[in-house]
Amino acid sequence: MEHNATATSASAHPAAVARLKIERDVIMAMQKPGLLYWGLVGLFGLGFAVFLLGAWGLQIWKGVGLGGQNNPVGWGIYIVNFVFWVGIAHSGTLISAVLFLFRSKFRASFNRAAEAMTVIAVMCAGMYPLIHLGRAWYFFWLLPYPNQRLLWTNFKSPLEWDVFAVSTYLTISVVFFYVGLIPDLAILKRYTRGVSRHIYSALSLGWTGTKRQWRNYNMLYALLAGLAAPLVLSVHSVVSWDFAMGLVPGWHTTIFAPYFVAGAIFSGCAMVLTLCIPMRKLQHLEHVMPIEHFEKLAKTMLFTSMIVGYAYTIEFLLAYYSGNVYEFGIFKDRATGFYKFQYWGMVFCNMIVPLPLFVKKLRRNLKWLFITSIFVNIGMWLERFVIIITSLAHEFDPYAWGQYHPRAVEKSIMVGTWCFFFFMFLLFAKFLPVVAITEKKEEVV
Amino acid sequence: MDRHIYQSEHDFMHKLEELLKSGVKPEEIETRTPHPVHHAEELLAEPQSNVRLFTLVGGICGVATGYLFPSLTALDWPLYVGNKPLVGIPPYTVIAFELMVLFGGLSGFLGLLVTARMPGVRTIISDDVFPDQFEIYVKKD
Repeated sequence: MEHNATATSASAHPAAVARLKIERDVIMAMQKPGLLYWGLVGLFGLGFAVFLLGAWGLQIWKGVGLGGQNNPVGWGIYIVNFVFWVGIAHSGTLISAVLFLFRSKFRASFNRAAEAMTVIAVMCAGMYPLIHLGRAWYFFWLLPYPNQRLLWTNFKSPLEWDVFAVSTYLTISVVFFYVGLIPDLAILKRYTRGVSRHIYSALSLGWTGTKRQWRNYNMLYALLAGLAAPLVLSVHSVVSWDFAMGLVPGWHTTIFAPYFVAGAIFSGCAMVLTLCIPMRKLQHLEHVMPIEHFEKLAKTMLFTSMIVGYAYTIEFLLAYYSGNVYEFGIFKDRATGFYKFQYWGMVFCNMIVPLPLFVKKLRRNLKWLFITSIFVNIGMWLERFVIIITSLAHEFDPYAWGQYHPRAVEKSIMVGTWCFFFFMFLLFAKFLPVVAITEKKEEVV
Repeated sequence: MDRHIYQSEHDFMHKLEELLKSGVKPEEIETRTPHPVHHAEELLAEPQSNVRLFTLVGGICGVATGYLFPSLTALDWPLYVGNKPLVGIPPYTVIAFELMVLFGGLSGFLGLLVTARMPGVRTIISDDVFPDQFEIYVKKD
C-alpha cells in the first residue's frame, strides 16, 4: 500500500508529549526490576511452594484430619479464607465495572491493578474449597454431571450455586481483564524486541486502533461492565447464602447478602490500597496515580466501613428484638465468649480505625491510608472468622458446643496463599502494564 | 491512499470535518487513533456494533440453559424432599443469572473477534504497530 503522507510537526505538541510521558512512565516501571524485586519474587515463590504446596501435599498424604476442623466446627479457616479471598476479589470488578459505568475518572489509576488483584484473589479463593474437600481429586463431584447412579447435583443447594457463581466470576474477570489489556499489549509491541515482541503482538490480536476495532471494542467493554457489575453483587450474595440458607443461629438472616457485599467492597478497597501505595512508590508512578485518586478510594472505604458497622449493630439488635434465645445467645457469646477478642478486634479494625478518614488531611496521607488498609484487611479476615467459627461452635444444644483451634497445616496453607497472591501480583507488575495506558491517554486533552 | 498524521485529537477532528465537508464519503475514510474518539465515530456515522447481538444471544441462551438444565435433571430422577416442588424456579434463577452473565460475556468476546476481524494475523506477524498518533487514511478512486 502506497501512502502520500502529510504530518504535523509534532513531536513538540503538548498533547503528544503528555501521552508519551504516560506511556514511558508505565512501561519503564515494568522494565526496571532491581535485585530487591527479584528477591521478593523468589521469597514469595518459595513461600508458596513450601507453605501452600508442601502443607497441602502433607494434608493429602496424611488426611484432612490433620487440620483442626471437627465437630461441631466443620468449617474452619479454609472456609474463612475462601470467603475472605472472594471478598478481596470483589473490589477489582467494582472499581473497573461500576466506576466505568459511572464514568468516574479516578478509575483509570487503579482499575488494572484491581482487576489483576481480582483474578489472583479468585484463584486463591478457588483453591480453598478443594483444600477443604480433603480428597481434592474428587472436585469434579461439584460439577453437574450424572454420576454412576445417574443422579445429578442438587441445583437447589447454595453450595451448587456457589460453584456456578465463583467459576462465572473467575471467567468473566479474566475476560474483562484481558479485553481491557488488548490496546496496552499492542503498545508494548512497540517497546519490545525479540520473543517478547512476538508474544505481546500475538496477545494483542493484531490491534492497531482502527475505527472498526474501537467501535466494537467499546461496545464489548461497556457490555462486560454492565454484566460484571450485577455479577459482583450476585457472587458475594451467593457466598452469603452458603450461610444464610442454613438454620444455624447467627447465619439465618436476610441481611446477609447486602452485608457481605458491602464487606467485600470494603475489604477489596483496602487491598487495592495495600497493593497500590507501595507500588506507586517503588515503581515511581506518582505522575499517573495522583493522590486525589487515593483520596477518593479512601472515601469509598470509609463509606463501606459505615455500612459494615451498621450491619454489625443492626444484626445484634435484630437478634435481641427477635426474642429467639438461640439467635441472641450466639451474639452474646460472640461479644463475651471464647472468641470475644476476635469479635472486638473486628469491631475495632472495621468500625473504629477507618473513622479518622473523615479528616481530609489523613485521607491524603498515604502512610496513614496504608496502615488503615492493613487494619481493615485484618478486621475483615476476623469478621469472616467470627461469622463462621463462632456460630458453628455455639449452635442450639449446649452439649454440642465446642471450640476450634486452627492447626499448623491450616496456618501454613493460609500463609502460603498470601505468598502465592504476592508472587503472582509481582509477576503481573513485571510483565503487564500496571496502569491502563490507553485510558490514561484519553484524559489528555 | 492519502495519509494524514496528527499529534493532537483537536487537529485530527478538524481535518476529519474538513474532509467530510470537501465531499469525501465517510466509508472512504479509515482512522487509527491511540484512544477511542467518540466524536469521530458520530461524525463518520459509524453503525452500531453487532457485539450487542452476540451478547444478547449468549445471554438468552444462558438464561434458557440456567432454567432448563436444572429442571430437566430434576425431572430425570424425581426426588421429592420436604414437600417442595420438584422444579424450583427461585433457586434456579440464581443458576440462570450466572449463566446469563457467563454465556453473554463469552459470546460478546467472540463477537469482538468476529466483528473487529481479530486476530489480525497479518498485523501480528508484520511490523505494523498501534500508533501513538491520530492517523487518517483517505481511499483514492
